[in-house]
Amino acid sequence: MKNYRLKPPQIIISAFLILLIGLSYILHMDLVVLLNESMVKLVMNGVLVLSLIPMLNVGAGMNFGLPVGIIGGLIGMCLAVNYRMTGFYGFFMAILFTLMICTLLGWIYGLILNRVKGREEIAGIFIGFSFIPLMNYFWTLAPFQNREMLYPIGGQGLRPKISLENYFNHILDNYGLISIGNIEIPVGLIAVFAIICLFLYLYFRTKIGRATIAVGENEAFAKLSGINISQTRLIAIIISTIIAGFGICIYAQSYGFIQLYDEPLSMAFPAVSAILIGGSTGKKTFIFEAILGTYLLQSMYLLSVPIANEILVPELTEILRTFITYGIILYALLVRERRGIYS
Amino acid sequence: MENILEIVNLNKSYNGIPALSNINLSVKAGEIHGIVGANGSGKTTLMNILFGNPIIHETGGYQGQISFRGNRVNFKNCAEAIRQGIGMVHQEFALIPDMTVGENIKLGRENTHSLTDRLFGRKYSFIDRKQDYENAGQTLRRLGISVGVGIKIMNLSVNIRQFIEIAREIDRSDLKLLILDEPTAVLNKNDGLKLIEILKDMSNHKIGIIFISHRLEEVQYVCDKVSVLRDGKLVSQYAKGNIYVNNLAQDMIGHTINKAAAEKREMENKPVITFKDFSVKMPGEEVKNLNLSVYKGEILGLTSLSGHGKLALGYGMMDMYPVGGEVYYENKKLVKMNARTNILKGMYVLPDDRQGLGILADQSLESNIIFTGNQIKNMFIRDSAFNFLGFIDHHKTNFHVHKMMLDLDIKCTSIKQKVKELSGGNQQKVCIARALTVDPKLLFVAEPTRGIDISAKEKILNMLIEINRSRNTTIIIASSELDELKRVCDRIAVMVEGKIFKILSPEIL
Repeated sequence: MKNYRLKPPQIIISAFLILLIGLSYILHMDLVVLLNESMVKLVMNGVLVLSLIPMLNVGAGMNFGLPVGIIGGLIGMCLAVNYRMTGFYGFFMAILFTLMICTLLGWIYGLILNRVKGREEIAGIFIGFSFIPLMNYFWTLAPFQNREMLYPIGGQGLRPKISLENYFNHILDNYGLISIGNIEIPVGLIAVFAIICLFLYLYFRTKIGRATIAVGENEAFAKLSGINISQTRLIAIIISTIIAGFGICIYAQSYGFIQLYDEPLSMAFPAVSAILIGGSTGKKTFIFEAILGTYLLQSMYLLSVPIANEILVPELTEILRTFITYGIILYALLVRERRGIYS
Repeated sequence: MENILEIVNLNKSYNGIPALSNINLSVKAGEIHGIVGANGSGKTTLMNILFGNPIIHETGGYQGQISFRGNRVNFKNCAEAIRQGIGMVHQEFALIPDMTVGENIKLGRENTHSLTDRLFGRKYSFIDRKQDYENAGQTLRRLGISVGVGIKIMNLSVNIRQFIEIAREIDRSDLKLLILDEPTAVLNKNDGLKLIEILKDMSNHKIGIIFISHRLEEVQYVCDKVSVLRDGKLVSQYAKGNIYVNNLAQDMIGHTINKAAAEKREMENKPVITFKDFSVKMPGEEVKNLNLSVYKGEILGLTSLSGHGKLALGYGMMDMYPVGGEVYYENKKLVKMNARTNILKGMYVLPDDRQGLGILADQSLESNIIFTGNQIKNMFIRDSAFNFLGFIDHHKTNFHVHKMMLDLDIKCTSIKQKVKELSGGNQQKVCIARALTVDPKLLFVAEPTRGIDISAKEKILNMLIEINRSRNTTIIIASSELDELKRVCDRIAVMVEGKIFKILSPEIL
């Protein structure tokens, strides 16, 4: 990548990461296990971070409305579990349901965002905030049948945490697992991640993809050149929403549970933090930046837990995590506002 | 008269690339000192140093001495420069669009209520808006501008904004040195003259003025002394009486230039496009009930004072602003304006606002040149089973862009270079290359030579003539440079208040 410059958040996080690695070495922790886990964490969260890219590049800003796509993915998985689809078949069907639901949700979401042009980020936050309570009704009232999903007592309404143990738990994590000594490389999982990266890469090389970048960079230029702005934005937002849906499916199969109700609300901020650490400035963003940011942020999370358990009070890690996640977003907003007439 | 500004052996480089070398310059009180130079000759860098733009210090400062009113100075930011009595009128407007004219003029120097002054201190005191507006109004009257002080800046046209910016500086009582960066670039001749009168008046009040302009006639007319910059060096200085446009031009570019001129010819009266009661609601530049026929294969000049609608015609055709009335294109009525279908029918607009509408600054030359052809006409698409996805055929693209680069003489390091790194003239050539790629039958051009140095200007004009003669493209040029229109056009239409006032042949003008 030409002209790539390290930015302050990356330097801070990298320094912190090196400090943590040093500490864990001193504390005789198993660094190989941590390395193995870091790869799983990268993909687990990375797809959600990648999902931000189409919207960033079309000029719709950070997708704080990530819960919209996530909810699409959750419904998709719930449908698959409800019909007792297991293994690869189950995961594939969950993805397929997600694709359909997210296309619809993304379309509606896109129509709304096209009406609030220029204020997408704040609108996204509130769309997320208002969509989640609405969905809480849905989770309790929807006529799902599978007893494993419902509250054990009463037998009505979905549980906040649905175990995927009997369905597609770790289906990608364990596929094509290659061991070299103690190092385990989840080839299947990384391959899926690579496919999504490749899809994004190719998307931005298609005609509509190039129009997307042009709209993001200079909307007036695109309009004068006969580009249909609303349509281009709509397509980018739909793609963002679909990838977010896939992202939560991949996240859930690694995590082992489908988390419903208020859970999706807290997922947008770490994703936004990650892409900012990667070097995005809220405008055109490269896939590489998303991957770098996710890896740095997630590895830092991963390392900080055992270390803090060892030398500090355990609760401190959670505080630290929250502080870093929101602090990075605040930092990004601070530097973004500084772009004045001279820059 | 004493020197209020003295620059000795000034050197400045950006990342090792020299932008200014060994500049020696002095300005007396009450002197109008012109600085001319082609794009990239270092004028803006010099101004940034004088006005303490932070970018200078961020990039390593400068070498040399600057004395202002006898004291050695080294401004680290604009506020320091302002405190010393230096004012600057920017090329890009430094006005706040959401505030009113009066607020902008008095910004930082507001009148305050004396009661709250005493209670809270001046910093937190209430602003006396009435007094502010009155002062602002007085300053505007001094400039001879009739504009309401309560109007927000964003609702004003560019030429009025330029005057507001000047008014803001003139309103200062402590002003000792005023720097004007291309103040007349966006003004038409009349407004330009008005501005020059204002400058002369200011110089009588012992204010030193540094005047940067591309319009050499103005420089010749108004300046007491002129310094010519070329490639960061001071090539020559002339005092009043010895300032001649030809000398300046030659010093600026290092060689003489040939002016573009089209041969005169007789046109057939076969209209390619006819406007009937056509209106475009472009704020500050409205077209109202315009009736006009444009003949096939001609170059039609469109001129007016700014704000009278010459720029809006093309934008209206591209659906940038709401339109009314009827348009007949090749004898067919256009029912609905749509940029895509109109481009497909053979129309194309070269915008006046290059940065805002003409280029994708962050993308390569290549992407810019093929953009419209690729997006609208499906050119340069690789033949494969995935045609509908529209991947680029790099072979075709490469060939085409290189051809354009040679044909139009675009100066760049490679076709992958970002357009924002090119000079204004080369950016305009990229815009023209993009238009030629689409191969339009009817080309709307707005202010093709604005902000471009003189040698590039003539090349651009020659290019337009060439396009017209070789491809039989009908061209409508909206411009405030009458001299250029006279040399290039077959007919010139003069617009007043959004209507055609008269259509003249260029010889009569």
